Parts: sequence; C-alpha cells; structure tokens
Amino acid sequence: MPETVTFKIKRQDSENSGSYWETFTIPYVANSNVISCLMDIQANPVNSKGEEVTPVVWESNCLEEVCGACTMLINGKVHQSCSALVDQLKKPIRLEPMSKFPVIRDLTVDRSRMFEALKKVQAWVTADGYHDLGPGDRLAQKHQEIAYTLSECMTCGCCVEACPQYSSGNNFLGAAAISQSRLFNMHPTAKNIADERLDTLMQEGGIADCGNAQNCVEACPKSIPLTESIAEMGRQVSGKLWRNIFRA
Amino acid sequence: MDSHFLARRIHSLTGIVPVGLFLVYHLYLQLYLHSGAEVYNEVVNGFYDSPLAIWVLVIVVYIPLFFHAFFGIRLIFESSIQPSYTYFSHLLYWLQRISGIGVLLFIIAHVWNTQLGPWLAGTWGTHFEHLSSGFADPESGIITKSVYLLGVLGAVFHFANGLNTFSMTWGIALTPKSQVRVRILSILLFIILSASALYALSAIW
Repeated sequence: MPETVTFKIKRQDSENSGSYWETFTIPYVANSNVISCLMDIQANPVNSKGEEVTPVVWESNCLEEVCGACTMLINGKVHQSCSALVDQLKKPIRLEPMSKFPVIRDLTVDRSRMFEALKKVQAWVTADGYHDLGPGDRLAQKHQEIAYTLSECMTCGCCVEACPQYSSGNNFLGAAAISQSRLFNMHPTAKNIADERLDTLMQEGGIADCGNAQNCVEACPKSIPLTESIAEMGRQVSGKLWRNIFRA
Repeated sequence: MDSHFLARRIHSLTGIVPVGLFLVYHLYLQLYLHSGAEVYNEVVNGFYDSPLAIWVLVIVVYIPLFFHAFFGIRLIFESSIQPSYTYFSHLLYWLQRISGIGVLLFIIAHVWNTQLGPWLAGTWGTHFEHLSSGFADPESGIITKSVYLLGVLGAVFHFANGLNTFSMTWGIALTPKSQVRVRILSILLFIILSASALYALSAIW
C-alpha cells in the first residue's frame, strides 16, 4: 500500500497566460478517485516543493459520471475525473485540461462549442406553445432501446477530444452532435424538422468532416454507438443528397 | 448542402468508382506479364489502339484520380495528431493518409516511368521489355523493385481500407456488426489483390 500519491498537474492562471506543470504529493487514501484527490489538494494547496500555491481549479458536479463537467486528460487520455480511480492509474498521475477547448483556468475549459453544435443541429423536440398536445406516440421497445442509449450523452466532449478531425482550427460539429441529430431525427415529434438537421450536417463542419478514425466510439464513457450514429446520419444525408439532385 | 460537403462525397466516391475499379482492372492486366513479352505488349497496346483510349484514360482515370489525390492532400492538413489513442481504427486512419501520399508519389513516378519517359524517348510500345529491363538493372533495379512493391501494396491497402470507410461515409454498413463484416471483406480484398499483384510482379522479378 503506497503512503502517498503524486499528481503532475498542467496549470494555467488565466485564459491568456502560459501553462506550467506543478507537482503535488498527497497522502494515499484507499478507493480514492481523481476528484477526491483534487479536493485534498484544494484543502491543502502545497506543492511538492513545499510552497503554498493557489488551489488547483477544476469543474465537477454530479460525481457519478452523468454530467460530464469534470472531464479532463488523465495520463494523456480523456475521461471523467470522478470515475477515474487512483488505484487503477499509473503513477505519477498526470492531469491536463482538455486540449480541444479554450482553457479558462487550470483544468477548467470552456466547452461552449459543444453546446453551440447542439443548437446548430436543433437537438430538441420541436413543440411550441402550452396547449395540450395529447398523449405522446407509443414507441416500440426496440426504438426506446436505441433512443435511451443515445440520450445518455452528457456532452462531456470525450468523443471530440479524441477525434483527429476536431480542432480549434475548424468548425466540425463532432460525434456527439451528429449522434444527437440521429436521436432527434428518430423522435416522433422532433423528426418534423429532420430535413433541417440534415441540411446542417451537409454544410462545412458537418458530417463530411468525419474521417472515420473511430476514436470517438472508443473514448465515449457512456459506450454510445457513435460510429453507428455517424453511419446512420451518413445514410440519411446520402438520401437527402439523392433527393436534392433528382427530386428537388 | 454546400460545396465542401459535395467535394467530400465526390472524393469518397471517386476513390471507389472509377479509381478503385481501374486499380482492379489494371492489376488484372498485369497478370499478362506471365504470358510473355509478345502477349503482354499486345494486350496493353490493344487498349491504346482505340481512338478513344486517351479520352477514356483522361476522363475515367486521370481527372478523378487528380481530384481524389489533391483533395485528399487537403484533408490531411485538417488532421490533428492524437498519439494517446492507440486504437486499430485510428492506426488505419493514419495509414490511409500516409499510404495516400506514398501512392500519389508512386503514381507520378510510375506514369513517368511507363508512359511519359518511353513516349519522349520514342520507345513507347515495348512495355514488357521496358519494365523487365528496369527491374533487372544491376544498379537501379533494386530501387525500382522496392518502389513498385511498396507502391502497389500501398495502393491495394488504400483501396481496400477505403472501401471500409466508404461504406460508413455513405451509410451502407450501419451497425458495429455490419462494420466488422465490411472490414473482413476489405481484409479479404486486400489479401486477394496483394496476392494477385505480387504474382504479376513475380513474372519479371
């Protein structure tokens, strides 16, 4: 049983300042996770040189891998830090902010681009007004199973962090938004604007920017079949392309 | 729908039809290397005897190939390197890009070696003798052989793996299970075309 755990954390004081590495060594606690260790560092922000420093900043919320807020690079790979167990990680543990989003401070990043992508594909049910719309459609069990799996997406950004096609230099929507467009295109009410979602996917930054590296599906912490979603939306835009050429 | 989307789809399509199909046809013709110089030259010159041969080549092969290659190079610059994620598909993603550049360089050398060079030298038509003497050259033969081996295998890989990504891009293979089936198919295609190409080359090795 180790007595201490060492963390190497890539820090950045503000949005525009440079980054630097800082090492923290904290007492080992059985069954701890990265977040609980960050809390320990926050309680006693002394680096391994014995200097008192500003506490490391990070984001977290649910602490049970359903919100996506605490997503960061742990030993170079993207994951939620709440479900990253210290016992299973190679030491020293390296923590870095996600590389595809602007850093706000330390491990906190601005993931707005992901939410903007959801807006672009109109990832919502289109129901206007407060009037009674009657009961919802009855759905087959099979439909529910797919929809439930897709709805588990927490927009954490693991898929786009691992994606070689997603970078700050382009405007690719990324796997999460493509998968959400599939979810809402199969929803009995939301599918009334299915064509508008396909139009978005057929623009620059849309589905054509996928390079089939398939890192997204491997990196997804919720095991969402992202490549299946991309293929399904590829099928839908192929149909739309056909309709645009021969039916419009 | 914008031009970027269309260009990506045309890039995907041209890789299979016509460029990929031309590769298969071309590899099939090379099997005639085993029939000796006379038959091989007759088969190859037979194709060029048609008054439309040059047009067929330009429209069916050179223009789509040119588009596929140069748009493909543009795509490589959109990639960012992600070394932490060591998955098989990710490896294939990079091999597809590296083989693309390699094959493009090979094709340029190949067209120069077998078409433009002999044509400028006035020796065009004796294809078998030109190829076999190039391979047998005591000095440059080993280089020519290596370039051909890498180039041909690279082209076959790029086509077989491209078939795999094509099926996902166009939404032909949807589920992970069907994607595995297409991958098996593309591996089989790689093995068969590689065996065919190596057998053809063995005639003049």
